Amino acid sequence: MRPATWILIAALAAPGLLGGSPARANESASGKKDPARAITSQLICPCSCGEILSGCTCETGKAMQGYVDRELKSGKSKDQIEAALVNQYGEVILGAPKAKGFNLLVWVAPFLATAFGFLLASLILFRWVRRRVPAPSMPGDPGAGDAGRGGGVGPGTTSEQDLDALRARAEAELKRFRE
Amino acid sequence: MSEIGRLSVLLAFLCSCFAVVSIAWGLRTGMAGPLKSGRRAVWMVCGLTLLAIIVLERALIARDFSFRYVAEHTSLDLPPMYAFSSLWAGQEGSLLLWLFVLSAYGAAFLWSYRKRLDPFYDAVAMVVAGVMVFFTSLLTFVSPPFRILATPPADGNGLNPLLQDPGMMIHPPILYTGYVGFIIPFAFGIAVLLMNRTGTRWIEEVRRWTLFCWMFLGFGVLLGARWAYVELGWGGYWGWDPVENASLMPWLVGTAFLHSVMVEQRRGMMKTWNVALIVLTFELSIFGTFLTRSGVLTSVHSFTESNIGPWFLGFILISSTIATALILYRKALLESENRLDAVVSREGSFLFNNVLFLALTFATFLGTTFPVLSEAVTGAKISVSAPFFNRVNVPIALALLLLTGAGPVLSWKRVTASVLKRNFLIPVFVGVLATLVGLPFGLHGVYPIVCVFGAAFVIATIVMEFARGIQARKDVAEARGAMAVVSLVEKNKRRYGGYIVHFGMVMIFVGVLGSSVFQKEAHGPLLPGESLALGPYSLKLRGVENKPVANAQHTRAILDVSRGDKYLGPAYPAKAMYFKSQQPMTEIALRQTPAEDLYLILGGVNEDGSASIQAYINPLVSLIWVGGIVMVLGTLIALADRMRLKREEKLGA
Repeated sequence: MRPATWILIAALAAPGLLGGSPARANESASGKKDPARAITSQLICPCSCGEILSGCTCETGKAMQGYVDRELKSGKSKDQIEAALVNQYGEVILGAPKAKGFNLLVWVAPFLATAFGFLLASLILFRWVRRRVPAPSMPGDPGAGDAGRGGGVGPGTTSEQDLDALRARAEAELKRFRE
Repeated sequence: MSEIGRLSVLLAFLCSCFAVVSIAWGLRTGMAGPLKSGRRAVWMVCGLTLLAIIVLERALIARDFSFRYVAEHTSLDLPPMYAFSSLWAGQEGSLLLWLFVLSAYGAAFLWSYRKRLDPFYDAVAMVVAGVMVFFTSLLTFVSPPFRILATPPADGNGLNPLLQDPGMMIHPPILYTGYVGFIIPFAFGIAVLLMNRTGTRWIEEVRRWTLFCWMFLGFGVLLGARWAYVELGWGGYWGWDPVENASLMPWLVGTAFLHSVMVEQRRGMMKTWNVALIVLTFELSIFGTFLTRSGVLTSVHSFTESNIGPWFLGFILISSTIATALILYRKALLESENRLDAVVSREGSFLFNNVLFLALTFATFLGTTFPVLSEAVTGAKISVSAPFFNRVNVPIALALLLLTGAGPVLSWKRVTASVLKRNFLIPVFVGVLATLVGLPFGLHGVYPIVCVFGAAFVIATIVMEFARGIQARKDVAEARGAMAVVSLVEKNKRRYGGYIVHFGMVMIFVGVLGSSVFQKEAHGPLLPGESLALGPYSLKLRGVENKPVANAQHTRAILDVSRGDKYLGPAYPAKAMYFKSQQPMTEIALRQTPAEDLYLILGGVNEDGSASIQAYINPLVSLIWVGGIVMVLGTLIALADRMRLKREEKLGA
């Protein structure tokens, strides 16, 4: 790549890398982060609607949104507000359980399962690579079981000996066909 | 009329039982008569279920409140189109629709293979009939739709206001067409094991059936998201609700199957895995119904909770046990025919793709069911909702996005270093460039950056594949522009249809990224004459008015919307009070453009006369809906390819 291209890329990237972006994620209209929404988007409405509190439009939801707003304005932190709500409604008000005790399982298991899946898939792949196909029809034919599925002998992989064997098989099949 | 309905369902149950017994007898003895009778019985179930549906629809539209179902789900003031769609508003009607779609699949299957005399297809029909027995028995003994009230009320209870949406006219039938359709691949898989059948022809047939219902399920899921977006009024479209998750899981496993089946077709490998995926897809589609009906989990979509959950759970246990036992019994039949040439190959990428799809399904399943599990173990109630799924599922989904770009450009059998360089250099460069371009526009955080890189990477690989295809074919290269693309797609519909599906998926990823990460919000009480600013928009409250509609009273805010200096017109977010339910419902106002949606909610009217307005700008959300349509188009193109089936037929002949 030419130096000019690198300069162009750097010029485009610089404002973002330096943090001078015109828009930010999860901003409110005024351009400032909405701290109330940051809290309510992690909570469940305590009525039976089961919706995330930040988007809930039921009466309970609206009252709770107002409560979080007021508590923030009175100087309480996110943790304090969450703790007070958990105290009142139980952990069911949290959109995701705390990663401790038995509930740690739900956080860890998906990633462990993914890692285990990758490990297993890798082992299976290596086993498949090492595997000998039972009784291949032709020596040197890597796609012995590929007949009719677009497999077969690839270019540059067939030795002279293999070709002789292929010719012999073709002749035998032709003979059988004529009979 | 109710007697006709009751009799139809009872006869459908008897016909299903007869079909299973008759076909099983025919298969055992080799006699053609019982096989023929069994097939006819499957047809009969379809006809009888249609008759039952006609009877119930007639009662719903006529508001015949002597039917308990009609009294529970309709009212005199309900518009006729919603009276029609009330069929799937309650449990009994939903089950009847399930059975109808199921029997229609059975009939369509028999029609498709009417000229085949192979008893294998009778075995498939027998499995379908076996599932029919379950649903007809539910409708006959557990949840009958034709119960009659001794004293009919003057008016019914009315329909849940959330279901009074035009989207609800088509969303459930389309979703059911997807869900229920997985019975055919399942039946094929079980029949192969029962009949000890070898060969690859059946797997191509299964792929086509799976692709068909996969398309419907995916489209149904997106329609559900669209319904949530316009009807639930919380500014979003996907809340990781248990019922949403339940519809996503079979789609994910079905997608894994549609990829791994290619390895079986090309290389004769992953046979056990593919049968297991078919079974899992079907079981998850039943599990979805269980979640919706059982009421074990709180959901905004659970309109029909009841006590039939244990029946579904029992069916899942029995059918999965039978399927697993058969897979183990026929292990030798499912042995791989081949060996792999190299780990880095298309086959390898499909295996890792399957791991990721299954991981995503597992995370979704665990998160969805964990509240029940946790309460059983610890005794404390917990919630597992969007904050959990966004943290756990998003990284796995992004890994899948990257693999979507990598998989198709890896060659089968073996990939050399030069191929890797040739196929990956430009897409990686395009991905990096897109990311760098995005940074000044507010692209921050690991996930958004990976998403933009991945989207650009996948699109670059797709464009390169099309360009190479055009270059490689002389006849196609002679055509110009769009015609060359059309001509190329025509030559290999399956391959390029798949690329179009991938392109649609990328659009959805970008739409989700834009509408979640770059969403803007403003809210506040507005008195008449006051304005609310949101990005480039200005929302000025003109006033609040009451407006009666068909079966509700709307209290609506009149907002004058401007963008910069340009006046765009009025918008009417409202609160609807339905006469029957006396529940206040949110009716959003939506201004849609390809670049962004302006989404307005009226929270309520306060005592001082001010209106609580909540406004969102959801950028790029239109890409989600367009992406869904592109995916459907790509699937239809892939389905139109009958080349491989014809080749298999020739080989079989």
